[in-house]
Parts: sequence; C-alpha cells; structure tokens
Amino acid sequence: MGKKELKVAFLLALRSLQRGSRSSVVLTVLIIAMCFTNMVFLPGLFNGIGQSITTQVVDYEVGNVLVSPKSGDQYVTDLDATLDLINGMPGVERATPHLSKGATLKYRQRVLGVSVRAISPNDEKYVSPLYTKMVAGSYLGDGDTGEVIIGKPVAGDATIKEEDEFQPSLGGVRVGDSITIEYGNGYTKDYRVKGIYSTGWSSADNTVYVTMSDMELVEGKPLDYADYITVKAKPGYSEKFIKDELQQYGVSQKVQTTADLLSKVMGQALQSFAIINMVSLIVGIIITTVVLFIVITIKTLNSRRQIGILKAIGVDKEVIMHNYGFQVIIMAVMGIFFGVILTALIAVYLAANPIVTPEWSATLYLTPLDYITNSLILFLASVVAGYVPAYQVSREDIQSAMRA
Amino acid sequence: MFEIVDLQKIYRMGDVEVRALDGVTLDIAKGEFLGIMGASGSGKTTLLHMLGLLDEPSSGRIVIDGTDIAKLTDYERTMFRLYKLGYVFQDYALVPDLTVMENVSLPAMLRKDRDDEQIKRDSYHILQQIGLCDRRDHLPRELSGGQQQRVSIARAMVNKPDILFADEPCANLDSENSKMVLELFREINEEMKQTIVMVSHEDWHKDYFNRIVRLKDGKVVSDGFNGKAEKAG
Repeated sequence: MGKKELKVAFLLALRSLQRGSRSSVVLTVLIIAMCFTNMVFLPGLFNGIGQSITTQVVDYEVGNVLVSPKSGDQYVTDLDATLDLINGMPGVERATPHLSKGATLKYRQRVLGVSVRAISPNDEKYVSPLYTKMVAGSYLGDGDTGEVIIGKPVAGDATIKEEDEFQPSLGGVRVGDSITIEYGNGYTKDYRVKGIYSTGWSSADNTVYVTMSDMELVEGKPLDYADYITVKAKPGYSEKFIKDELQQYGVSQKVQTTADLLSKVMGQALQSFAIINMVSLIVGIIITTVVLFIVITIKTLNSRRQIGILKAIGVDKEVIMHNYGFQVIIMAVMGIFFGVILTALIAVYLAANPIVTPEWSATLYLTPLDYITNSLILFLASVVAGYVPAYQVSREDIQSAMRA
Repeated sequence: MFEIVDLQKIYRMGDVEVRALDGVTLDIAKGEFLGIMGASGSGKTTLLHMLGLLDEPSSGRIVIDGTDIAKLTDYERTMFRLYKLGYVFQDYALVPDLTVMENVSLPAMLRKDRDDEQIKRDSYHILQQIGLCDRRDHLPRELSGGQQQRVSIARAMVNKPDILFADEPCANLDSENSKMVLELFREINEEMKQTIVMVSHEDWHKDYFNRIVRLKDGKVVSDGFNGKAEKAG
C-alpha cells in the first residue's frame, strides 16, 4: 500500500463525508461524542468526589501530614518542642496541634453532645481554610477565652421546629449568644458564640472550636500535649518528602501522609468506584463499537455497487477498505474532539456549581491522562468497528458487488 | 491483440445449469470498434465482463497482448484493469461525491507513473475533448444523463487504455444523447485509434461499429465488418 493509494483512499473518504449525507455524519459524530462523555463522566464524577473528600480531609482533619501519638501513647507529648522541630524543617508551611474533648452543649432547652476541638487559631490559618468559612461573626484569636466558634448545623435554625430538624441542633444560636459547655471531666463554663462557620465538611461543621488557652482551663494545667499535630506542606513539597524528613529528624511519633490515611479509610470506597468506572467504560466501548459497526455496515452495504464499480475501474480493494477506514477515523477524531469539549464544559460548569450533598460536594475531576487514555480507547474501538465491515465488503467479488 | 479461445461461462442455479457463454472464439485487433450485439440473455454482457476481467470464465482462454489472463493474481488483474483497460457502464457509475474533474482523475491518481501535474493536464485535456471542461467542478448529480455518460467516457479514457469497454452505454439515454455518445466513441476510435468493445442491443447502433459480433444463446452466430456481409459464427 503506497502513498498514492492512501492519498486516494483519504480523498474518497473526505469527499464522502463532505458531500455525502451530512445528517448521517453529524449523527455519528454526536454518538461518538456522547460515548466519550459517557466514558469519562462517571469516573470523572467519582474522582471529583474522591478529590473533594481528600481536600476536605486535608483542610479540616489531618493536613498534608499527620503526627499522631506513637503506639501505646494517648497524646503527642512534649508539644512545644515537637512543634518547634517540625516548624523549623524545610518544606513545612506550619504545624498546628489539635486536642478534642467530648462535651455537652446547652442552650435554652436544647442539649447537644458534640466534640470540642482546641486549636491555635493563628497557626490554624496556615493549615486550614476554616477562618475563611465564617458565615456570621468572626474567627477566633489566639488569646481568646470564653469564646467559641460553632458549625452552622450545630447552631441550628430558629425557624425550624426541633422535630423537623434533619439533625439535632441548638435551635438557632446567633453570634453573641451564650452557650454552656459541660466537659466530660465535669468542667462547665458559659461561652459567648464569637462566630458561626460552614465548611461543607460534615465532621468539621459538627464541631465546636475553642482556643488552646481555653482548653488549658478545662484541663486545669498547661497544655504540652495534643491528640495530634497537623502539618501543612509548602507548595512544591510532597507529603512523602515531609514525612521522610520528620522521621529522619527524630520526630518519634507516628507520622502518616494523607495518602497513607486515605488509602486505608477510602480504599474500599475507591475500589467500588473503580469497579463502577470499569463497567461504565466497557458499556461505553461496546455501545460505540456496535453503533459504528452498524453505521459503517449500512454505509458499505448501500455502496456495494459503487464499490464494485471502483474495483472494476482498477481501484485496489485496500484503497476501498482504507476509504471506509479513514471515514471512521475522521468521524472518531471529530467525535472525540467534541466529547472533550463537552466534558470540559461540563467540568467548568460543575467547578462553578458543584453537586453538593451533606457529605461531599462533587465536581468533574479529569486529568489530561484521563482524556488521553479514554480518547485512545475510543479511537481504537472506532477503528476496529469501522475496519471490520470495510474489510468484508472490500473482499467481495466484483460481479456480486456490481449486481447489488 | 485479443485472443479468445473456446470461452465458456456456466452458471449453476440450483440443479439447473445455465450456459451464458458456450464456446466463444474470437480475435480482436487493435483499433477496432467492435459491437457485440444480440437479444437480451444472449450472453453479450457476460462476454464483455470476461474480456474486461470483471469475471472469470468457467473454461477457455483469454490472451491480451500475449498475457494469459488466467495466470494473473487478483492484484495483477486489478492493476491490469487500471493500466490497460477502460470501462463505461450503462448507469454511468460515477462516484457521486466527487466532482467531474475528480471522477476523471481518479484512475490516473492510482497509477504509479503519473505525477499530479500530469494527472491534472490529462484530465483537463480529456474534458476539453468531450466538451465538459466548464463543468469540471460540478458534481455528477448536477449534470444531465448524457453529460454524465461523457464524463464516464472521459474517466475511462484518462489512462489512455489499450481497450475501452462499454456496456450498453446508451441504455439510459434518449436518442439525441445516445447519438452524441456514439459520435464521441466514433471520434475516439477514428482520431485516437482507440480499440473499443461495446455491447448494445439497439439495431441502429450498428452504423457506428466497424465490426459486429452477434451472439445467440451464448454462441457467436455472426461476425463481420460493417458494410460487408457478416460471416456466420
């Protein structure tokens, strides 16, 4: 098969698409574009959910690296020295401690069990975007005592009756109101609500934040310990790098990256997503292959006499086969291109308007590799679907073809 | 040029055996305008298809310029048709999505001994000869039947074939367009010394042939030059 033959095959293919049935070409291209969208949408959405959860876990729970007590210990001890050590390491943006205590909140007639988490508010700003999520009032300051910030679901809504609430709340606490917190150790204190926040991450929104200074009063002693330390990496530094560095420089506590933690917590969920993705991918490929096979088979059957004539005047069967092959290739490339545009537009739309549920908010998360892989798979499926009928019809003898 | 010896073509339709060609022996010389005539079902199109390498005989021998056709592979037969033969079909058989110019150029584009410039020149020249140069950018559906058949002739002639085959080229044309097409064939035959083998069942077409072979039931019943008595087959 020489260059001339390929050139003629391409010319025949191009002219057939340009001057043949436009509606048939547009329909086929749209089908391929829809198949591409179908192939990438669900996996992209699942990836988006996974990314959303990962981001929220990093932002509101563990940071990039979590330093937690070594086996057998209840707390990360020698807190100040450990924080100084970690904060002094290259690649570390900031390390900040968390200490949580179970407590009961009381407001008017409402009683609610929640977790009260002590933080260092200024350091927390480097690690978590919590301070940007205030919907009323303001964020905590390092020296604040007797003040808390609470999640919107905890604050509740005064207009909703208790029996109608989706989850128990304090029934409409507002900034400036006083709430009573009764800790597990019996310490009880009235706090002024300084701010109300809403992060969209259920666990964080159902928490009450106080300063470490306040928690010292609860514990009745200076706090040189914490449940764990969250570490934020500077841009350009990997979690793994920070983890290795911490271990190398003698941080004796348990050091885990977000990936380490998520692989255990989310492993099963991601595995389920992967199975659904695979099923979706296979269904998409089968649909595309069958549709293209039918389209090209109909096209070749309708052109049998034409094919017979071409063979009669000396056009080689390979040229005829590649003619239909090129038609499929052109339509597949156009369909994939439109599919990429379509999914990119959906991704942009969902980035601005994510699908929000109480547990997560999902966007379409697609990497260039996702686009390339799915494009190649769809392209190969299209080529196979197009070339099989083209091969069959090009082998038909001239007399049978011309009689069609 | 053409040596056809005891050509037979037998079709089997269930248990019934149909002898479409029954021992045709014929020689065709260079420069002849040969008309194959006969009633419907006499075997004239079958004979044309055998000679044009579009079908294979059940037995017998076809030798063209010393080449025994039976010995050619499928690819060699395709190339033989491309380089040495030209075809005109009754329904014009143009590629509907190609312009007149592209249709005419198509066989030349596949030849290894033609460059783009030569293809363009040859196609343009042949279109000028048939008087359709001004319609070269039109699609076949934009032309009349007669014009389409002339384009089909141009396509057959662009490779300057050794033999031009025409299978009832006037069957779909009115008498005026038929005359125009037949005049064109005569012109090509006389001016370019082009060998033409044409199938027809219209008796008035015989005026244009310089030799007529008549078939009946797959056998040659007469063979003679126009104006002279046709000898019995």
